[in-house]
Amino acid sequence: MPTSISNKKKIAEEVVRLRISQMFVNEEYKAKRLKVSVHLALGYEAIAVAVNETMERGDNLLPSHRNIAYNLARAGKLQPILDEYYLKPTGINAAHSGSMNMLNPEMGIVYTSSILGNAFPVATGLALSAKRRGKKNVTIVIVGDGSMEEGSYYESMLMARSMELPVIFLIENNEWSMSTRIDQRRSPIDVSLLSKSMDIRYELLQGNDPFSYIEKFKDVREYSIENNMPVCVEVKVATLGERRLPSTQEFPEGEFINYHAGPAPEVFLNEWPMIKESEEDPVFVLTKHIEQSVLKEDARRQFAILQKEIS
Amino acid sequence: MEDVKPHKYLEHVNETLRKAVGAEEGLVVFGQNVSAGSRISGFTKGFVVKESGVIINSTNTENSLVGFGFGIMIGGGKSALFMKQLDFLFLGIDQLVNTYNIIRNSTHTKGSFTILPVIVDMGYEGPQSSSNNFADFCSIARIDGYAITNKYDVVKIIATHFAKPGFRIISVSQRMYKDEIIDPGKPIITDKDMKFVQYKDGADVTIVSFNFSFPYAWQLALEAEKVGMKPSVWNVNYMTPVDWKSILENIKITKKLVVLDDSKSENLSCFSLLAEARGLNLEKDIFIKREMRADWLNPVSDAIDINYEAVIRELAAQ
Repeated sequence: MPTSISNKKKIAEEVVRLRISQMFVNEEYKAKRLKVSVHLALGYEAIAVAVNETMERGDNLLPSHRNIAYNLARAGKLQPILDEYYLKPTGINAAHSGSMNMLNPEMGIVYTSSILGNAFPVATGLALSAKRRGKKNVTIVIVGDGSMEEGSYYESMLMARSMELPVIFLIENNEWSMSTRIDQRRSPIDVSLLSKSMDIRYELLQGNDPFSYIEKFKDVREYSIENNMPVCVEVKVATLGERRLPSTQEFPEGEFINYHAGPAPEVFLNEWPMIKESEEDPVFVLTKHIEQSVLKEDARRQFAILQKEIS
Repeated sequence: MEDVKPHKYLEHVNETLRKAVGAEEGLVVFGQNVSAGSRISGFTKGFVVKESGVIINSTNTENSLVGFGFGIMIGGGKSALFMKQLDFLFLGIDQLVNTYNIIRNSTHTKGSFTILPVIVDMGYEGPQSSSNNFADFCSIARIDGYAITNKYDVVKIIATHFAKPGFRIISVSQRMYKDEIIDPGKPIITDKDMKFVQYKDGADVTIVSFNFSFPYAWQLALEAEKVGMKPSVWNVNYMTPVDWKSILENIKITKKLVVLDDSKSENLSCFSLLAEARGLNLEKDIFIKREMRADWLNPVSDAIDINYEAVIRELAAQ
């Protein structure tokens, strides 16, 4: 079903909210006020909003250590998340989890793990538990192109298919595992062929268009539940916040530093939060659907709301 | 849970588990060949779950099997993973540590997960498999672990812990599979969590067994009684140090201690009891463990060779 204009605006507002919220976190990080290490997800807002819009009560979500965008989307607010990073009792998990294991069970985030590959089998167990109770729910487990190198990815896909479990394996392919690109560390993996070999449906999402992502994700969710089948969804993302170090003899253009964790020093808090004029940036993609002046006005409003929320 | 007739260790374990499995609503029993072929050499023979449960002959994916069980637990379900060999659990250590920590720290699930591996401790396995260091698995993430060693503890441990909320590992010894199960009779003291049990109460010597060394301790006690000694016998079923107060009080009376531990670990869980007991000005303490000879990687016996007469002579010496 095509997205209505009012719904489009709401979705765009969410993308912008997630972006500005992360920018506030980044500023706190730069100021060394956070007590724990945070993996920002600048550039992941479109898929996070799509997952959030698709989820229904009873669905499970298992993000990775880079879970900030999903937690912001599910919580609908910044303060409790920021408080968890400060390790305050008012944090979303009362300072029990910090960043990499942040949970929100009431909103379906029942498990997060920074250990690559650990979440896959946990998702299959959760899916079996839900299926045996006759629930029409799906379990979404989010993996990276690094964690899908772990054996548990293959093992869990196989288990989910063998037991006919409604699990969505969502692969966030950002090309990087910390400081190494895929082509620096391994041979390519054709995820569509791997999925096909196990008789698992595969979908590719790229372009950071939250509206098409939502439509596709809703379709995938319905298919997974109706057929009791796992689905593999690969989404191309860019982790924004990369930078170049000053020029040296070895690196005349400056050494490229991929953003992995910690503050993003060259990302600044701004009422208009676009970082890159390219499809790598979901905020830029919004400008293809909605007048930039409208988006900017909304961003200013969101900025003020968030500023008030955390002041 | 009603008592069962005495017979072989494996039959007794299987019969007790069969009753427990059949009594649980919504139980997910899974593992490799749990309801196929030999049923893990008879360990899971005859298992039937209630209509609300399911038995799954799983894939050969040990890390994921452990994570899967934790997933069921987070989802509020009850599951039991049966494993042919403790060594297979090495592949699940990431889950045993990280995932279990997350569950303990952040969730309030009423779900249940029990892993039941077989300790392959009969020897002659060669380099492919010889891990009997059950306590090491438990120590690595402070996991509740219980060793089944005799007719009393099998019924009690299964009744106390199997399919109950939370997570634990319950292990059985392959070495004892075909032996007549030891019936130690009515115990003197039973820890409420089945961490330890006192089976005999004598004033001459305190004998304490760890891991799967209870049969050695029991034999030593019987041999001691033949020469008129009155031993106290304790078995520690739990895999990590516990509050030793009850055992230490007993040692204060006997002033003589024999500790037996058949684990191959370099970090034996009995060390903490020994450390405390040796501060009690003992008249004698004897520590019996499996000596790791130079050929330990070859197919050799895993049994501890104990000269019971010599131990008793040493205890009797002034």
